[in-house]
Order: sequence, then C-alpha cells, then structure tokens
Amino acid sequence: MRDRAAQNLNRVQIQDVPELLPGSAKMALPLRRTLVALQRATCNSLKSGEGWADVRQPLPLVVPVRGKKRYFIPPAVELKERTNRVNPEARAQAAGLVYRQQYMERAINISCTAGIFDPYVPPEGDARHSTLSKEGLKQRTEQLRQSAASQLAIRKIKEHDPLFNTRTFPELAQDIFIQAHMALTQFNKEKLHSLVTERCYPEMTRGNRYKTIRWRFVESLEPPKVVHARCPDMVSKTNLYGQVTLRMHSRQTLALYDRFGRLLLGSEEVPKDVLEYLVIERHVVNPYGRWRLHGKIVPAWAPPKDPILKTVLIPGPTLKSGEEFDTLNYEVPKPQSVQWSK
Amino acid sequence: MATASAGRGVSFLRNIATHRVFLAGVHTSAPLEVNKNWERRNLKLFPPQLPDEPRRPAEVHHCRRQIKYSKDKMWYLAKMIRGLSIDQAITQLEFNDKKGAKIVKEVLLEAQEMAVRNHNVEYKSNLYIAESHSGKGKYLKRIRYHGKGMFGIMDKVYCHYFVKLVEGSPPRVEPRSGLDQAQDYLLSLRSRTVRHSL
Repeated sequence: MRDRAAQNLNRVQIQDVPELLPGSAKMALPLRRTLVALQRATCNSLKSGEGWADVRQPLPLVVPVRGKKRYFIPPAVELKERTNRVNPEARAQAAGLVYRQQYMERAINISCTAGIFDPYVPPEGDARHSTLSKEGLKQRTEQLRQSAASQLAIRKIKEHDPLFNTRTFPELAQDIFIQAHMALTQFNKEKLHSLVTERCYPEMTRGNRYKTIRWRFVESLEPPKVVHARCPDMVSKTNLYGQVTLRMHSRQTLALYDRFGRLLLGSEEVPKDVLEYLVIERHVVNPYGRWRLHGKIVPAWAPPKDPILKTVLIPGPTLKSGEEFDTLNYEVPKPQSVQWSK
Repeated sequence: MATASAGRGVSFLRNIATHRVFLAGVHTSAPLEVNKNWERRNLKLFPPQLPDEPRRPAEVHHCRRQIKYSKDKMWYLAKMIRGLSIDQAITQLEFNDKKGAKIVKEVLLEAQEMAVRNHNVEYKSNLYIAESHSGKGKYLKRIRYHGKGMFGIMDKVYCHYFVKLVEGSPPRVEPRSGLDQAQDYLLSLRSRTVRHSL
C-alpha cells in the first residue's frame, strides 16, 4: 500500500515538474533529467516510512543544474580515485601514535607423545597353531618379568599413580578400546578425544567423515595381558609419559560403507578373530591425565587384510622407448613385510 | 531501511544509497553473498544400503564460479553435453571452437578426478552427465560512452557452470516422433475439465 502511494506520488510529481518552476515551461533536457532523478530519490526515501518532513526542508546535497553531469559513476571509477590516498598506517605514524610490538605467541599443551617409543616386537607365531615350540611360545608370552626395562617403567608409573596394577589394568584398557570404537561409529568427537590421544585421533578418523562405520565387539577369546611398558620423557627429564602395550585376542565384526551407503569393506554378520597389540598412554605427571588409546602395533608376520571391493589402478613399470608392456608375465610388486605402528 | 544516525543529511544520503538511485558522489556496491549450495550437495551422507536393495549409483556435483563468459553462450555447450557419457562429452568439447568449451572440458576432467579419488567411483569412464547448466555470475559495471554526452552502462558478464556426474552408462532416451507428440497433445485436450461447473 505504501508502495502504491509512493508510485502515485512519483507519477504526479513527474508530471508537475514543469509547474514547479514558474516561467520555464520549456526546459533543457539535462535540467529535466536532474529534477526527475531528484524526484525519484525523494520518493524512494518515502517508501521507508521516514522523511515525509524531509521533502519540504532544504536538501543538503548539491543539485546539478549546469552542464552535462554524469549521475552514475560505476564503482570501478570511484575506486581509482581512492587508491591514491595515503594508507592509514603511515598517517598514524605521522600523527605520533605508537603501536606496541605484537607478540605472536600461543601456549601449547602437549598431552601425548608423537609415537611409540621402543615398540614391542611381538614374537612370531603368536596365537598360531605351531607344533614346534608351543611351550616356548607360552613361556615367552606369559613371562613379563623377563624385560627389566618394562619393570622399571611399571615402577615409575606406580610412583605417580599408586592405583595402577598389571592385573586390573587390562580390563580397563579393553573397556577404553571398546568405548573408543563405539564413539567412532557414532562419530562423537568429544568422547573420542577423551578416550584416544591426539596422535591416534587423526589416524582413526581420517577420511571417515563421509563414511558410515558399523563395528561390533562380539567377545574376547583370551583375557587381555600387559606385555610391554615404557616410560619415555619429553622435553625435560621429569615430564614422563607412560606407554603400556596390551595384547588382545578377540572377535569383532566390521563393515565400512561409503558416502552412498555401499559396502566398501567387511561384513556385518561374519565375525573375525583379531589379535591386536594396543598401546595405551597416559601423561603420568599430570594428576588429571587419563589412560587413552595411543596406537596399535602391526607385526611383520601379520596375515594380509581382505581385499576391498573395488578395482584400483596401480602405476606400471617405467618403460624405455621401444619396449612393450608384457601383461602376461608382469608380477605386481608386493609390499615389504615390516612391523609398523598405526 | 531507516537508519538512526545523527544528521538528517546523512540519513537522507544513506536512504538514497540503499535504494541505488543514480546520484553523483555516492559509491554503492552489490552485496557479497554467494551461494554454495551446489558444492554442499557433495557433503550429503546416505544411510547404508541393505543387501537386497539395488546399488545406489555414485553422484558427483562440481561447478566453476565466475567464468569470464556469457551465460547464454555457455548454455549452448551445457545443452550439448547433457546425457552424454563423460568420454564422449570430453571428445566433443575438445573439437569445439568456442571459448567456453575449453573451460567446460577442464571442469569435467576435474570432476572425473574428484569422483575417482574422493567419491569411490571404480571406473573413471563409467560416468555420464546427468545435469549440466549455466548460471549468471556477479557482473561488473562499466561506462560505455556514446555521442552527445549520452552513456550506457556496460556489463562485464560472468557466469557459473554446474555439472552433475552419475556413475553408470548413460540412460537411453527414446526419441519421440511427431506422431507421439501429436497423440500427447490430443490426450491433453481430451483430459481438460471445467471445475466448479454445474
């Protein structure tokens, strides 16, 4: 309604233009143009509901009457005029304002180590049926007392955290592991950060943002055991981090779906027996530190994983000019079997 | 847009500025809001499919913004490649003489690369162009001088180009003959009805 009134006003005022200036019925075209533009300006301002009074009172801007004035200056031309001016920094300095030196500092809290120090080398043939040295294997896995460094580390941890016990700890650690993976399936970031260290978090979550993970812990085949412990320090001698390696043999199901809900890997029904060496870490010096999953150790003799349901191109061998690629006799290069931690 | 600022003159000027009226000495600029909806379609997560459901084809949305080309001229290229397989589309664009053809070909290659790397598409040739269209970008305005002190506002045109690639072979579109179209027309005439009649 207001717009219609304004439009009516607009129409009336354009027609009244010659009447506003008595004795100038025949006006020059630029003058008419000026006044038309002015009328449009005033009527548009009326649309906002304010300024009915403004129209009557004298206007503070210059009304061009003489010559051919350009009414519309595109922004590019305007900007060219402004870039010639002095920048405000130089002006402030000339005026005498002194800017204090800005220190780019930021405090960082290092709550986990960057890797696994002195990783545990799992004995070959662990959890495999072997007729040769069954008893030997049992001895090796059950005796933690063998390595002195582990004992020392456990003693150091017990100094700072008297509740630590090699008998009760594995249960706790398995619980942390299960909860961390459940949080990963729901992608609960806060809970995941509290259960998993900062080094492990990107490794667990990279590339998983637009994927669906379905994971289930069916049962534990053997009770988990502490096999290795180290207590490295970072930066200074007293800044200790405790790293404990746990051996876990369990049954799990894992199914990975991509962004469109198609199965990438695994299956939801078929459970798999999994032997894992988990590394749990804690900043022992910090009284609020918590035991969190830090990484996994994959032994060199680990069986290869299941292939993915996808065809992938791998780069072929570099050929010299004139050579042909022999598709029949070409062998795909296999990766080296090395122990690595993830 | 009433602004409660000191001085009637300033408020008057600002009212003029917001309504973009032609007046000397006032600098107005277009808003800088951009629409990123096409890119956001790539972030949609679908729920996992049940084993008896048909496999959902992968979709990749890609676009290029603010191309220095006319949207009407770009439309011809977008219309040309609609419904073709990606290899065919790239071949056709490679031998097309228009300026926009080179740009559209780059966009298609980028989209193909994205599909294989990020969106779990198995074979890079197994894609077809489901949607392809052009849109208007933000124009720059300049003065074009005419005789007798007249001027015109020259638009420096920009356009966006959008494309959606879907996994699979291109769907076969049955060509509609004149007879089919005539039959459809007759059907539409016969199914007319007068509402609220006696």
